[in-house]
Amino acid sequence: MKPIVEMKNIVKIYDNGVVANNGVNFTVNKGEIHALVGENGAGKSTLMKILYGIEQPTEGEIIIDGQSVSFKSSLDAIDHKIGMVHQNFMLVPSFTVAANVVLGNEPIKNGFIDKDQVLKVTKELSDQFGLFVQPDAIVDGINVGQRQRVEILKTLYRKAEILILDEPTAVLTPQETQDLFKAIRTLVQQGKTVIFITHKLREVKEISDRVTVMRHGKMIGTVDTKDVTREQMANMMVGREVFLNITKPPMKRGEKRMEIKNLSYISETGRPVLQDVSFNLYAGEILGIAGVEGNGQTELVEVLTGLKRSAGGQAFVKGKSVLDHTPREVRQQGVAHIPEDRLTNGVALKESIEENLIVDRYFSAPYKKGMMLDYRLIENKGKELIKQFGILTPNGKLPVESLSGGNMQKVIVAREFSSNPFVLIASQPTRGIDVGATEFIREELVRLRTAGCAVLLVSADLSEVMSLSDRIVTLYEGRITGVFPDAAKVGEDELGLYMLGIKHQTNEEMEKFL
Amino acid sequence: MSLETVIRSIFSTLFLASVIRISTPIIFPAMGGLIAVVTGVPNMALEGIMNVGAFVGVMVSAYTGNVWLAILAGIVAGVLMALLLGLFHIYFKTNLFIGGLAVNLMASGGTVFLLYIMTGDKGNSASVKSLSVPNWEIPFFKDIPFLGDVISGHPVFTYLAFLSVILVYIFLYRTRFGTHLRAVGENPEAATTLGIDVKKSRMIALAISGVFAALGGMNLSMAYLQFFQKEMAAGRGWIGIAAVHLGARKPLGVLFASILFGFADAISNQLGSLNIPSQLVQTIPYITTVVALAVFAIQQRQAALERMKRYQKEHLEAISANASKAE
Amino acid sequence: MKSFFESKGFRELLRIVLAVTIGLALGFIITLFVSKDPVGAYKSFLLGPISRLNRIGDWLEESLTLILLGLVICIVFGASQWYIGVEGQMVLGAMAAGCVALYVPIPPLPRILLAFLAAMIVGALWGLIPALLKAYYNANELVTSLMMNTVALKIFEYILKAFIMTPKSRSISSELIEKPFRLPTFIPNLPFLQGIREIWMKQTSVTIMVYIVIAAVIIVYYLLYKTPFGYELRTVGLNTKFAHYGGINVKRTIIMSILVSGLVAGLAGAHLTLAIHNKIISNMTSGLGFEGINIAILAGNNPLGVPIAGLLYGYLRAGSDVMERSSDVSRELVFVIQAMVLLLVTAERLLPTIQKRVADIKENSENGTNGKPDVKNVKEGDSHVA
Repeated sequence: MKPIVEMKNIVKIYDNGVVANNGVNFTVNKGEIHALVGENGAGKSTLMKILYGIEQPTEGEIIIDGQSVSFKSSLDAIDHKIGMVHQNFMLVPSFTVAANVVLGNEPIKNGFIDKDQVLKVTKELSDQFGLFVQPDAIVDGINVGQRQRVEILKTLYRKAEILILDEPTAVLTPQETQDLFKAIRTLVQQGKTVIFITHKLREVKEISDRVTVMRHGKMIGTVDTKDVTREQMANMMVGREVFLNITKPPMKRGEKRMEIKNLSYISETGRPVLQDVSFNLYAGEILGIAGVEGNGQTELVEVLTGLKRSAGGQAFVKGKSVLDHTPREVRQQGVAHIPEDRLTNGVALKESIEENLIVDRYFSAPYKKGMMLDYRLIENKGKELIKQFGILTPNGKLPVESLSGGNMQKVIVAREFSSNPFVLIASQPTRGIDVGATEFIREELVRLRTAGCAVLLVSADLSEVMSLSDRIVTLYEGRITGVFPDAAKVGEDELGLYMLGIKHQTNEEMEKFL
Repeated sequence: MSLETVIRSIFSTLFLASVIRISTPIIFPAMGGLIAVVTGVPNMALEGIMNVGAFVGVMVSAYTGNVWLAILAGIVAGVLMALLLGLFHIYFKTNLFIGGLAVNLMASGGTVFLLYIMTGDKGNSASVKSLSVPNWEIPFFKDIPFLGDVISGHPVFTYLAFLSVILVYIFLYRTRFGTHLRAVGENPEAATTLGIDVKKSRMIALAISGVFAALGGMNLSMAYLQFFQKEMAAGRGWIGIAAVHLGARKPLGVLFASILFGFADAISNQLGSLNIPSQLVQTIPYITTVVALAVFAIQQRQAALERMKRYQKEHLEAISANASKAE
Repeated sequence: MKSFFESKGFRELLRIVLAVTIGLALGFIITLFVSKDPVGAYKSFLLGPISRLNRIGDWLEESLTLILLGLVICIVFGASQWYIGVEGQMVLGAMAAGCVALYVPIPPLPRILLAFLAAMIVGALWGLIPALLKAYYNANELVTSLMMNTVALKIFEYILKAFIMTPKSRSISSELIEKPFRLPTFIPNLPFLQGIREIWMKQTSVTIMVYIVIAAVIIVYYLLYKTPFGYELRTVGLNTKFAHYGGINVKRTIIMSILVSGLVAGLAGAHLTLAIHNKIISNMTSGLGFEGINIAILAGNNPLGVPIAGLLYGYLRAGSDVMERSSDVSRELVFVIQAMVLLLVTAERLLPTIQKRVADIKENSENGTNGKPDVKNVKEGDSHVA
């Protein structure tokens, strides 16, 4: 087999000095399914953005089909028959499926868009590659699996020979994943080449011919998939054992602090996102929610913290209902919240660090003194927290936007932890931040739990959930599929089966541990 | 006049013709606003661009004696103002609202400034002899009783305005470029990855909205009246923006919203002949706008709530159906 | 020192100074084209306001109104509400103050106080409809507030013509407010100030409003930067979602921001009737409605910057009046200058772009121009994953 993509000695240094790729060599053969794996931040997305022309390499050479190329934009890449399906779909929601497929290069008749032709070519492509879609459906109303097929059709319409799929299964149900794999095999049979980014090793084994592993911006190696076990791949990916090295004193479980009964939530488009979710949260424990992203974790947190209205059910803290109350009312019951999307919910970027630290408490003593805010006190408290949580900044008067991602998250953590929470709900507390901040935040979470707080942890990082949690609940399609009373005694494989909805515990099995 | 005669006159041909006439200078900016909004750059300078168009059209017609040249000049001036806004918003990141207000300020100050230089008057251009666009008697239609009186004999601008609704529809939904504009408005990132130039698209959308706003302005100064008047647009640019909201960003809906405002304006003109204080009557179109916006906003909220309730009910039914099946 | 020149504050200041300079230069270029004596015209524009004592007085009085309007906008824009109903609030406030001063039969001091109070309350209440519509139904406050402005102006004219105008008066106005019910001059009646006081009173009519405006600036500053309400307002303005997440009542904050701004707008209206015109006249607020935006933007939305910006624009307006009277250039030139300054000051990218261009030229490299699509900066649609 001859190589169709060769990326040689690729270096990418961003303007802010972050080295995303450091001398990466990456070769893909024609007609293969090539998996590209690595942890979050390993540099796989950057590498693919370079291949697709979205980013330009600082150094290095790209050879497509034996021809050295330099892409200024994704258009150049499309010209060289490269197509990419992004993780967040690039679709126009009010357009039909067919209009999205042909967008940018619509068939024209007499100067106008030829609507019949638009539908026809979409139908033909869909039939040819076995990617079932309904050409005249509005994208807004179709499900994630269909949207993904539209994205793939978009690339095929542009005659792509090399398809880059960026974590395509992250948002899919197992059934949809199987459909996707079938489609990928059809594509390859018809001569296409597929690059498949993922961090799910099971999928690598199942679908790929070869696999390239990246770690910390460097290429670790490329191997034939059949020659490696998942454990070997995991070692290449992580370079150390998957379990995090966190020392956790034994759990001293206390009283029931939060009680959630039959909670459900329906999205604005009418999709039931949470269905009949019930569990309790106890003092002194970390309860981890494990699940593939998009299975209702985000909504669970937002409903419990007052950001979204539920569609039914109950939630109590200290015996008082907190469901469908305002965020302030929820907070006044002692619930602290580390939000998933820290830039939109967690901070006001242009506001000072000090002022970001008081949003949950400015209205009460000692911050409020008479009719005024005591800014001297706010400054001093800010200094204390900056010191205590190791936020790297010259002073607390600077806007939060001047901080790095990890330090921003520390601002949020400092605020929420220092509110002396009765219950802490932490959503993706370490996503996308540096190692130092990550370790610090994990230690703080454990410290808080050991001090008796009830912690609900939601994280896409399974090893984080497994090593921090005392008890784990798996969530699949908005339902609880299993509960594991001792997190230390459950394996990744076992959890995966429940996270992917392959196994379910019965209500009787779960009841005694929820 | 008694109330009865007013009510009777509302159903007269004269009144219906006036609704059409008065709607015209709202339809133009509304169509311009529509194109800008669907591309993701709500043009807040429509009001000012109307004033500029009205002024330039009148002045060029007065100096050249050529009405078509005047219209062309008015359009060019409108496009330039819109591009000024685009330049600052799209390339220099000026806030769109503030940029729009700045262009409005420049337009209202600039037109009066130039008016004074050219005519020595600050109020209006009545002292110079300017031209107006011809009226059009529609062959055949004009002879139909009632209908002929209502729809025939308006200035060509009026027909252009109604025609432009169809053109805008075809442009946005049937042409490649119009479709790209809508894609840019809804998902600029997606458009970019497909090779659609977001900045250029937005500049062009603003330019088109400038054309429409200028036409709306010239409709005022070269058809509705035959001279330029200080602050001639008198809020119609803003009402046009309101019409875009009310019309749910669809050409036909925007047309109906514009006619609604035209109707309110025409009513206020009719009531002016009654013994009601004219100032209060003149508030009708503006109050209509506020009320219409309020009703629209409340309805949308209500619809969303009801949709949510329906989903919830369906969901509960599905659950109980499942439960009974399980038993 | 180097750090100061690289600081954000300095860059802001530089941008403002640059913008004003470019605006004035542009104004001069326009003058060159239209005037027979451009230098003379521009000189009267730039130096006119300080050429005579009465002109200084006019400048100060005008500035006082402008400063209040700037404060109004600081409040609403601080909450990121594009509410521009100032003109309506101001004109009805002027009406309320005038009615009290003219017709309520109580002694001077309480009457003046009541006039102020009435103006402020009316101003606040007039903002209620757009405020409620925005807070509860997210109706576009820019359009509703503009429409309400026109409605307010019409109502003002109606009341004036129908109830207040006397048949014998020649212009469309009320009678003059009697001397004791006007505001006194701002120089206190102290022995050692006697001389200055007399000269000032003869030539100008600047009132104790000076002190009220200074107090208003300080109060608004404290309100925005030192009180819980100000904190809520600014936080909502900077990131509504964060405010909601943190427990702030966003709806209430939006409504209150508009109502509080209405208090100040009403105060500006009272200033028009009680200090500047001494009566209610037709078309009282013409052209003032948008000045607040110019001033607040120039002041970087900081109440403490507002007096400087207000004095600057008051100066330009006064100068343009002098220019119009003494040359062939009309005063509307100043609007064009202001519009240009507004665009330049808010152009966040302008300085960086120019700096980059300069750097590019220095490096003499043509490759630096942006050929690549700016994907990160167009992130509005975001993900549509259900």
